[in-house]
Amino acid sequence: MIPAAVVGVGQTHHKTRRRDVSFGGLVREAVFRALDDAQMTMADIDAVVLGKAPDLFEGVMKPELYLSDALGAVGKPMFRVHTAGSVGGTTGIVAASHVQGGKHKTVLAVAFEKQSEGNAQFALGSGKGASLGAGGSFAPFIRSYIHRSGAPEHIGWKVAVKDRQNALKNPYAHLKIEDISIEKVKSSPMMWEPIRFLESCPSSDGACAVVITDEEGARGRTPAWILGASSRSEPPAFPGRDPVRPLACLTCATDVYQQAGITRPREQIDMAELYVPFSWHEPMWLEAHFLAEEGDGWKLTDAGDTEIGGSMPINCSGGVLSSNPIGASGLLRFAEAALQVRGAAGEHQVDGCRTALGMAYGANSQYFSMWVVADSLQPFG
Amino acid sequence: MAPSTDIAVVGWATTPLVRRTDLSETQLLLRAITSALEPLGLTRSDVDFTCLGSCDYITGQAFSFVGNLDAIGAWPPKRDSHVEMDGAWALYEAWLRLQEGDIEIAVVTGSGRSSTGNPALIYPMEMDPYYLAPIGADPVTFAALQARAVIAAGIADERTMAEVAVRSRGEGDVDELLRGEYVREPLRRHDLPPITDGAAAMVLATGDRARQLVERPAYITGFDHRTECHNPAFRRLDDSPSTRIAAEAAGLGDAPVEVAELQAAFTHEELLLRSVLGLGDDVAVNPSGGALKANPIMASGLCRIGHAADHVFAGGTRALAHSTSGPCLQQNLICILEGRS
Amino acid sequence: MVRFTESTITFPYTRSLGPVVGAFMTALTEKRILGIRNGEQVICPPMEWDPSTGAELPRDLVEVGPAGTVDSWTWVPEPTEQHPLDRPFAFAFVRLDGASTPLLHAVDASSPDAMSDGMRVAPRWKGQRIGHLTDIACFVPGEEPQVDGDDLGPAAEPVQMMDYLARITYRNPVPPSSDLVVDASRQHRLVGFRCPGCGKTYVGGRGVCPIDSVEFGEEHLVELPHTGTITNHVVITPVQYPGQTETEPFARVFVLLDGSDAVLGYQPVIELPVEDVAVGVRVSAVWASPGEESDEGGGMGGAFGSLIGWMPNGEPPVDDPDLVNRIF
Repeated sequence: MIPAAVVGVGQTHHKTRRRDVSFGGLVREAVFRALDDAQMTMADIDAVVLGKAPDLFEGVMKPELYLSDALGAVGKPMFRVHTAGSVGGTTGIVAASHVQGGKHKTVLAVAFEKQSEGNAQFALGSGKGASLGAGGSFAPFIRSYIHRSGAPEHIGWKVAVKDRQNALKNPYAHLKIEDISIEKVKSSPMMWEPIRFLESCPSSDGACAVVITDEEGARGRTPAWILGASSRSEPPAFPGRDPVRPLACLTCATDVYQQAGITRPREQIDMAELYVPFSWHEPMWLEAHFLAEEGDGWKLTDAGDTEIGGSMPINCSGGVLSSNPIGASGLLRFAEAALQVRGAAGEHQVDGCRTALGMAYGANSQYFSMWVVADSLQPFG
Repeated sequence: MAPSTDIAVVGWATTPLVRRTDLSETQLLLRAITSALEPLGLTRSDVDFTCLGSCDYITGQAFSFVGNLDAIGAWPPKRDSHVEMDGAWALYEAWLRLQEGDIEIAVVTGSGRSSTGNPALIYPMEMDPYYLAPIGADPVTFAALQARAVIAAGIADERTMAEVAVRSRGEGDVDELLRGEYVREPLRRHDLPPITDGAAAMVLATGDRARQLVERPAYITGFDHRTECHNPAFRRLDDSPSTRIAAEAAGLGDAPVEVAELQAAFTHEELLLRSVLGLGDDVAVNPSGGALKANPIMASGLCRIGHAADHVFAGGTRALAHSTSGPCLQQNLICILEGRS
Repeated sequence: MVRFTESTITFPYTRSLGPVVGAFMTALTEKRILGIRNGEQVICPPMEWDPSTGAELPRDLVEVGPAGTVDSWTWVPEPTEQHPLDRPFAFAFVRLDGASTPLLHAVDASSPDAMSDGMRVAPRWKGQRIGHLTDIACFVPGEEPQVDGDDLGPAAEPVQMMDYLARITYRNPVPPSSDLVVDASRQHRLVGFRCPGCGKTYVGGRGVCPIDSVEFGEEHLVELPHTGTITNHVVITPVQYPGQTETEPFARVFVLLDGSDAVLGYQPVIELPVEDVAVGVRVSAVWASPGEESDEGGGMGGAFGSLIGWMPNGEPPVDDPDLVNRIF
């Protein structure tokens, strides 16, 4: 397999409504930032991979067609993936695959969502009443996690506060809640018991772009080497399916660690960007990614280990809890992991970060995609 | 850069391709996948990677593909992906993935029930959201405008188009067809594709595994796809540069092909593609009847690749398959399949 | 005989236009048509980027038209509801005077015989213009722009947004497995399918075992008890969106059926106040009286057919620490 690296990362300012831009304008904002970061132009790109969540969210069917010229893809391969909420991650993985399999040298991965154009709640319910919303799907999973781990209720509040504090250090983050506090989170309205409003992700307009290239392309640039990339899916429902510790997640993590040569994830991974749309997903995912023992994830959160400067920083960018352009949210996780190992995360940089995990998931906790990036091809000697 | 791993189509299957099926998309996929695997002596647990191609707007449901996981045997969980594109592009993703060398068998699918809604109302939603969708710019209108350009360039005329229809469907009389009313001048009913429901599934295998599974694997020796700018008003409609680039990158010119399966949903598209690809009279074009005979949306391109593979399975040496997406052949994919002695 | 259901979905969208499309739409309200310079060329309709390279174009917008020449056309004998005109018309590539590229729009001509390449056309403006491509109602043969009815003048503010609405009717088959379950519910029977492979029981009309890839039919039907235990639940505070039917917080519960491995997801509750919904509560099925019945299949969850929900049956609650994990 040909080594591939991220050499450019770009994202938009994420907001509830980006009324100042068109579709094309939104994605191009991220693309040009990524190209500038990579010191490249559109002419250096050999192929483009576009990811986004359901087309019904914006009412543009197969938007890779409309966006072909906006993305500078004329005369090039233009590919579109859609794996529910994990799609941004899959976009990164498929783009990497273009390079790793030897088909192309330099590939642009782009993901976006312009949620304000439509109504996600409406689209999720296909226009019918009593839509449960994403929170309605995940609240029972969270109740199950709390019950089996015995975690105290303030864990969810702590994650909500930490990620919003991290977002204050990220110039692109959507939610900027200067006075965020435990008190503020716990007094926010109950939306989907036990999930409170401030424990939930926002709905954002935004885009993310990543430039991936081979060893030669990485020369003279700052690479985040992709040491492993993996995806797994499992069926929606069958008696006994466990959505708190989904086997697809465990298998995917095991696979990506093995590819990357990681045997002790808790020590060898310096930070992770995990897809946490509701605060309780942080402890849940710490456990399902072997970053904590089963039942102990919340203890890391409680001890402050998941803060920037802690022993296992999670979502230093502010995460999905602070910015959620659905289709792009997964690529943002992957891109933020790359920024960290490139030492380019600015105010939310983890000191000495050499290896990072990016993760996204989708649907009813069924689609998982992950990559491990590092500042060298052999970070563990 | 040439792929280092041998990757071959070793089998494929479709459900019956019909005007309107009683079956759900999941049921269609379930049956297509089983039909593709069984003759090879494989089960779903032998499959290392799946990639599905389908479209939410055809179904009228966000995340419609999630339920299709029921069809792939994703327990224990599978390496899996989904493209909001024709299954031909799902095949492309699987082909890239297999080149990484760590896995051996992939299944790709394309599925769609075009009968669910009115394509004339659904398809404008894939057009420019400011300048084209708001006036209901539909695919048949664009096809007609492209047909006019192709005729003006001397690549086709209404008679040769009708001949394509008769040859593809194996029925009808050219003179009689030419007496029909225009649906969109210069297109008549016979120049348009049928509405078809169905699904296709294809099995890929690498290296030695392919040779163990079938006597004569259809090796993918060239695979490429390219896009053009979106709005047909900004393009030359009597040409298809993206097809030409993809064919060149896939190595079409390296050796002659005996068969070409083209995803030409409209008659003039076949004539334009033949011309752009430089296919002579010695090449059998769409012996399957092509998309004019059966056009299962999101599976139509994958079916072209399947029929090209059939040619190799039957002893053929080299075949070309083509798939397309978007108005006036905006995006085009070329896959070259070869047999080895 | 498989049943089909028809549903019409109306998709409402609000688009932000950005600087270039916004300027074009604003100009339309002023009965002006804009293109954008791209080197020697003038692109109309104007784009933010060069359509062939993707390069950002300088915002050099220039007025074109209002009259133009038909480059190519096709006749539309039967317009759809999305088309600009409700009578036969021509869709044409109209190259406005001063533009290098054509704009697709409708030409209102009496018949295809009135259409020809190279013919001159001019816009017929709507009297009330909102900043939408259909502010040009259509083009008409000739050089002179027209206005439909009273000219209500340009927009007061620059146009930044546009509405887009598509209405599509979908016709989908009801899977036989779903019908079997709904039909049984008419007789106040709760049935599921047992997979001959893994032995698991599937409820709510799911027609496939995802583990063994088995399609279910009548031969797999099993009768299920009408009593069960709430394993998990969610209380939803409804947010408003087009089509929302709920206004007050409502509960959905997961019910593990007695003597079975089957969990019915997202079930409505009856005579169980939201604050009393809890893990372990014993419940019984509630069946619809005639007229309350629904044709809906259960799918991923929800009530179906004549099963309208679950109510407490007065039995003592179950205390089992694993119960809460049974979501599926």
